[in-house]
Amino acid sequence: MEQNPGPTDASPDLAVQLGPLSLKNPVMSASGTFGYGEEFSNFFDLRRLGAIVVKGISLKPRAGNPPPRLVETSAGMINAIGLENVGAESFLAVKLPFLRDLGVPVIVNIFGETIEEYAELAARFDGAAGIAALEINVSCPNVKAGGMVFGTDPAMTSRVVEAVRGATRLPLITKLTPNVTSISQIAKAAQDAGTDIISCINTVAAISVDIFSRRPRLANVLGGLSGPAVKPIALRCVYEVTRSVRCPVIGIGGIANAADALEFLLIGASAVQVGTANFINPVAAVEIIEGIERFLKVEAITGIKSYIGSLDTSCLFPFAEDLCAAIASEIS
Amino acid sequence: MKREARSKKRLLPAPCFPAGTSELTLGSIIEEARIINQQRISGQIFRLRLHSPGIARAAHCGQFLMMRVREGTDPFLRRPFSFSRIYPGDGDLEIIYRVIGRGTWLMSQLEPGSTSSLIGPLGNGFELPIDTTVPLAFIAGGMGIAPLLELIAQVVSDRGTKGPEKLRLFYGARTASELLPEDFFRGQGIRVHFATDDGSFGYKGRITQMFEKIMAEGGFRPFELYSCGPLAMQRHVADWALTNDTLAQLSMESLMACGIGACLGCALPAATPGDPESERFVHVCEDGPIFSAGSIKWNKILVQQMHPPTWLFS
Repeated sequence: MEQNPGPTDASPDLAVQLGPLSLKNPVMSASGTFGYGEEFSNFFDLRRLGAIVVKGISLKPRAGNPPPRLVETSAGMINAIGLENVGAESFLAVKLPFLRDLGVPVIVNIFGETIEEYAELAARFDGAAGIAALEINVSCPNVKAGGMVFGTDPAMTSRVVEAVRGATRLPLITKLTPNVTSISQIAKAAQDAGTDIISCINTVAAISVDIFSRRPRLANVLGGLSGPAVKPIALRCVYEVTRSVRCPVIGIGGIANAADALEFLLIGASAVQVGTANFINPVAAVEIIEGIERFLKVEAITGIKSYIGSLDTSCLFPFAEDLCAAIASEIS
Repeated sequence: MKREARSKKRLLPAPCFPAGTSELTLGSIIEEARIINQQRISGQIFRLRLHSPGIARAAHCGQFLMMRVREGTDPFLRRPFSFSRIYPGDGDLEIIYRVIGRGTWLMSQLEPGSTSSLIGPLGNGFELPIDTTVPLAFIAGGMGIAPLLELIAQVVSDRGTKGPEKLRLFYGARTASELLPEDFFRGQGIRVHFATDDGSFGYKGRITQMFEKIMAEGGFRPFELYSCGPLAMQRHVADWALTNDTLAQLSMESLMACGIGACLGCALPAATPGDPESERFVHVCEDGPIFSAGSIKWNKILVQQMHPPTWLFS
């Protein structure tokens, strides 16, 4: 761990490298919480973001699920939007030009109902100028076909990633669901199939019901939980994944401030995505960037890279194992 | 997108959109608002006055704000409220709300001098006919009165000495304690027809029944309707407007996480303008909250009953 010689005035280096993807800072928007970027341009200079990840795009426009689509829960919310989006062609024609002009890396989250659709989308975006990377959504819990269906089975994940890999030279991120027995197994499958980066987690499958009407609060019944409530789960997932694959990992889940983001970086995420916090505080992402910078200054750390993955899990009590063994032998 | 939608409308911007201003050039902002005062009006109904000059200057009647009741995660999401009064000169805003759950209960505890973060103004707004002599009807159910208060105040002031002559407010709630008191409207001089489901004040029955009864009696025929209230009421108003070929602007509500078009949570089934058979989702925050009667697919919306607040049992 780096020594702390005292606070410094020099601007710390926030740049991170995620495989083929270079970012000026490790903070990006999470898919589905930042629209197509434009929605937030009133509130801050979007160019400050490390990258913008746009709402999941499918080949054809999708209407999404019937309302009610979201419900508030303790320290979080459950949504079942159902991937409503404008479709690939309209995204390229209407939404992308605005983002391209910004000069911020644009990451397009892609979603298909079949493996072929994923590949077709990747091929469609491969030639488009102004796209920095693709994020493969194999983790949406709110659609009947595709999404999480692919991300809960290592063999299926592998087939989707392989198909997309074969269709584009763009850097590939695979976004994983926490709704699995072993997320590291899925992560390994994605890595072996050629993903450059892994991002996790998507929402946690969840339900909310109304005791008076005796009905689910979401028309879709099932939804995805997000917000601070899922952060500890997300940290655990990032911990497991960073310790089972070589490729860089993007941490997502309940990040609302710089301290939250730093927890993910400490565990080993090379970057983070800010999601639900954007709804409550539209300037959350930029506050997090500023907060990370302040933290590094105060801690006299010259660059964020040296902080990433510096978690010290060694036991603070050096004789703990001996002691436990002694007690155990006494009991027996 | 919003600009196009507006220019297609048949009505020119009237009091709610004075010449030379546009909600687009001003845009929505995040503002730390100071609580000026908080007052219990009747029953569980409260009025909150906030000093928020940036939003107050830009706000139009029918638009709304997203309020962060307090820092932290309880409540987690912001709450949408329509402007019940706008005082651009003072830089103040008023919202009227009823305590129905934990979020609104926490709101009712806010003290003057404390601050809350607001995002606004959001959404489109009401539009008024250029002709300031036509008769207009306002229909409010429960807290649906909120956006109509500012609308009525503007219409009345626009009409000068003729003021409230051809204006009628139809205002209903489940019971008397859920209505704003009668003297609340005295200053504006508008004629108010009250109704309560239990007959504890005014006509006994639904406000839409009373409205239809008065329409059937003749003598008053609105050129346009403005309404806000529960879904079941709105559906009745829309049905009446469509059957009687009367223009209507309905202020719709929905659960929403962001209010700025990012979460896509506040979807309502609708038809593309000019094609009543088509189907798509509109979003209350961006495409509304004001919709015409024909634009919403009422038969596709599950109208849910109002229930006692869960927090009474927790």
